[in-house]
Amino acid sequence: MKDILRILIAPLTWLAAFSAIYGLHGVLCASGISGQTLGISWVRLILMGAYILVILGQIALVAVLYHPKFASRSSFVRFVSHATGWVGLVAAIWSLAPVVMTSHCG
Amino acid sequence: MKALERHRKLTTIWASEPGFRGWFSTVNHTDLGRMFLTTAFFFFIVGGLLAMLIRAQLATPHSAFAGAEIYNQIFTMHGTIMMFLFAIPTFEGLAIYLLPKILGSRDLAFPRLTAYGYWCYVFGGSMLLVAMVLGIAPEGGWFMYPPLSGPIHSPGINTDFWLIGITFVEISAIAAAVEITVSVLKYRAPGMSLDKMPIFAWYALITALMILTGFPPLILGSVLLELERAFGLPFFQVDLGGDSLLWQHLFWLFGHPEVYIIFLPAAGVISTVLPVMCRTPLLGYGWVVAAAVSLAFLSFGLWVHHMFTTGIPHMGLAFFSAASTLVAVPTGIQIFAWIGTMWKGKPDLRLPMLHILGFFCTFVIGGLTGVMVAVVPFDWQAHDTAFITAHLHYVLFGGFVFPIFAGLYYWLPHFTGRQRFFRLGEFAFALIFVGFHVTFLAMHWVGLLGQRRRIPTYAPEDGWTTINLISSVGSFVLAIGIAMVLLDVILHGLTFYRGPRNPWNAGTLEWAMTTPPPAYNFASLPHVTGREPLHDDPELPARLARGEGYLGTPKHDWRETLTVDIASGRPDMHVIYPGNTRLPIVMSAVTGLFFLSLLLKFYWTVPVAVAGVICLAWRWVWKQGRKDDLEPMSLGRGLKVANAAMSRRSPGWWGTAFLLTANATFFGSLLFGFAFLWTVAPGWPPPAWLAASPFELGAGLAGAVLSSGAMRHTMRTNRKGGKPVLGLILTLAGALAIAFACAALMTRAPAPVEHAYGATLLVLGGYGLFHACLAALMVVFLIARVRGGYTSSGRQAEFSIVTLWVDYAAVIGVLILLVAHASGFSS
Repeated sequence: MKDILRILIAPLTWLAAFSAIYGLHGVLCASGISGQTLGISWVRLILMGAYILVILGQIALVAVLYHPKFASRSSFVRFVSHATGWVGLVAAIWSLAPVVMTSHCG
Repeated sequence: MKALERHRKLTTIWASEPGFRGWFSTVNHTDLGRMFLTTAFFFFIVGGLLAMLIRAQLATPHSAFAGAEIYNQIFTMHGTIMMFLFAIPTFEGLAIYLLPKILGSRDLAFPRLTAYGYWCYVFGGSMLLVAMVLGIAPEGGWFMYPPLSGPIHSPGINTDFWLIGITFVEISAIAAAVEITVSVLKYRAPGMSLDKMPIFAWYALITALMILTGFPPLILGSVLLELERAFGLPFFQVDLGGDSLLWQHLFWLFGHPEVYIIFLPAAGVISTVLPVMCRTPLLGYGWVVAAAVSLAFLSFGLWVHHMFTTGIPHMGLAFFSAASTLVAVPTGIQIFAWIGTMWKGKPDLRLPMLHILGFFCTFVIGGLTGVMVAVVPFDWQAHDTAFITAHLHYVLFGGFVFPIFAGLYYWLPHFTGRQRFFRLGEFAFALIFVGFHVTFLAMHWVGLLGQRRRIPTYAPEDGWTTINLISSVGSFVLAIGIAMVLLDVILHGLTFYRGPRNPWNAGTLEWAMTTPPPAYNFASLPHVTGREPLHDDPELPARLARGEGYLGTPKHDWRETLTVDIASGRPDMHVIYPGNTRLPIVMSAVTGLFFLSLLLKFYWTVPVAVAGVICLAWRWVWKQGRKDDLEPMSLGRGLKVANAAMSRRSPGWWGTAFLLTANATFFGSLLFGFAFLWTVAPGWPPPAWLAASPFELGAGLAGAVLSSGAMRHTMRTNRKGGKPVLGLILTLAGALAIAFACAALMTRAPAPVEHAYGATLLVLGGYGLFHACLAALMVVFLIARVRGGYTSSGRQAEFSIVTLWVDYAAVIGVLILLVAHASGFSS
């Protein structure tokens, strides 16, 4: 089961993070938080902070999947888990990029 | 033992009852797979006829063919049947028939569950068909949006048929998903490590996991909407704290993964059939597995792209637009892997290959229009037009029907042991291909000209007349093509033209048996050393028939197989299956009585049905098990392993774990719904909050700690040979404390019919109460088993399974009570 987990963990983490940031966005918009720091609204700052955390988390996962201590003994599982690890990272960067680009709460 | 003698003995042990009586008592996966597929194709024909009625209606302007009310029922039933009664059951049927054969096993993990799922599907589907015949079919579209489907705008019974019938059918999908997941992970031939699994098994595993996590949100949505319709709990009524957008979230949390749940098995068929047709191994096996896994996960991040026009903030739209474009990448990897396989091999243009080529043309177009509608400004223009209808048909017909026809013709010789004599199939393919593209290319066009989907008619001055007529003519050509496929298959069945055992020279294990397959699949189980065992060892079928594999000597009239370690494929357990029984059909009929009682509002029969299900479930489990410890079993070839009952991680434990995964998704969706209403719905705060009770909260939390702790202590005591009854009684007390706290929450939820807050607390409490009572019932069952002598320090499988349920009840009990009482404290 650990090998299945190695394959699934990175995209699963992306999915959880993606849903969480979407939910956070909804909560922040509903809460009516206002104010700015360095010309950037607090809502966007919080979302950007979460975005960076998610990316760092996915990078850490990729590193763990490559680490000999945690990697599978099966070369096939290593290959697939590395591939899905990168999928998780790229998906996080790409799908959550709107937090730095588009208008929020409108 | 000679091969013929072995065959006769195994047939005696494994065969279903002869004649039509066997249909009702069989638990054999070959029988049930065929029954699933036949029933699914029956529904396909019904859904297809409804499509013809739609096209007849739209062929001319101001058509009087069907009135608007009937037309609404026709298109709703067309979508519902094709999605829920054809596509998913076809996957289930194919997987049920095929998996044990390609994995080198004798049956699926839980044969009675397979039968139960099949009969739930038949009864649930029949409910919908009866509604249609009576003219009271659902009429709110296959995604049944409230407020249109709510009690105010759809007061009749039509919508209830959809909500209750589909939920009943989804029991079948969940059952099959648990079955498939455990079977792929555990019921494989020795030596079949993850890298040696047939590619179809990977796709089936991924699809089953998607069903386990994708279907529960829809089941929840259906439950909530039915509660609103039947008892006035206002989850989707804006003026009472509900929000109809909650339905859309729950529906599309299911609905978008559903598209991939339909596509991925078809991709599995292509990845299996295409290399055989091209006479070369699949190019990039590892890449294809990684792409399929990625596609499955990404598909869960797309649901809002069906809601681009609902007024969601731009940033939310952009998240899902970005994720929607991303999904093209793993799809593209698979497409290129298939193209590379064709490039590397020598494609043989036989009938399955023609359908695969039809898939390529059609699905790629559907994928490209999918990228178009993933772009928000385009979607705003095309939303709810015939363009979208055309897009989804390109994806689903291209991505599912063509591959399934390829699979049908590929495995037809396996189903029947015969080869095709007449050549209608090639002509049928041409008609289907031309008819489909004429129909739906035209529909793209008329959609871009502004024709809305689901309109019953239009005026001549709209300028859509010619295009609609072309589309309708195309659809009838398509229908003739499909009728010819049906005729071809019937002729195939009637023509006794014996075919060779492996007509395609394929390398996978399903061709290592005689065809049509014997009830036991393999006379002895193979040891696998590669992905294509028949190419590695062409003598394998003969050696297996001679009993040179595992479990080659039938004993005690047991239906035996073995399980393996998930990663390595090393044998780890010996399994004895149950025999033929009518228990599944009886239990699904009683389950049907429960749903029918709700539908017809005969509430006095609901407890009768619940009691019936409990009694039958009790009997179901009670019949399993032994009163003596089994020594490690000899599997042959010098290998001995313990029986599953002696293991803490028995197949039942794995099945429970995956069932609870689906259950947890349901619960997570419920919490999401609560949070969504609280933060997004306009009618909040509620007029009254729950008065938090430290006593009830404390009792529930203490019960959770007690039940979980006592159950663990009981397991340890049993393992050491001690008496477990006292620990079980403490566990029972803990579960009852959780039940008390949840029941108290239900009784004190503030005015559930007046605001969605109270309604949600009521449902949360009900969910907790149900699981606490279920855990308590299981503990009582376990006490009875201990007293009956069915457990010992060695036979511990049942303790592990009950522990999972007790822990689950404890965890959700704690979460429910914390969420509910915290809302009271915070107010």
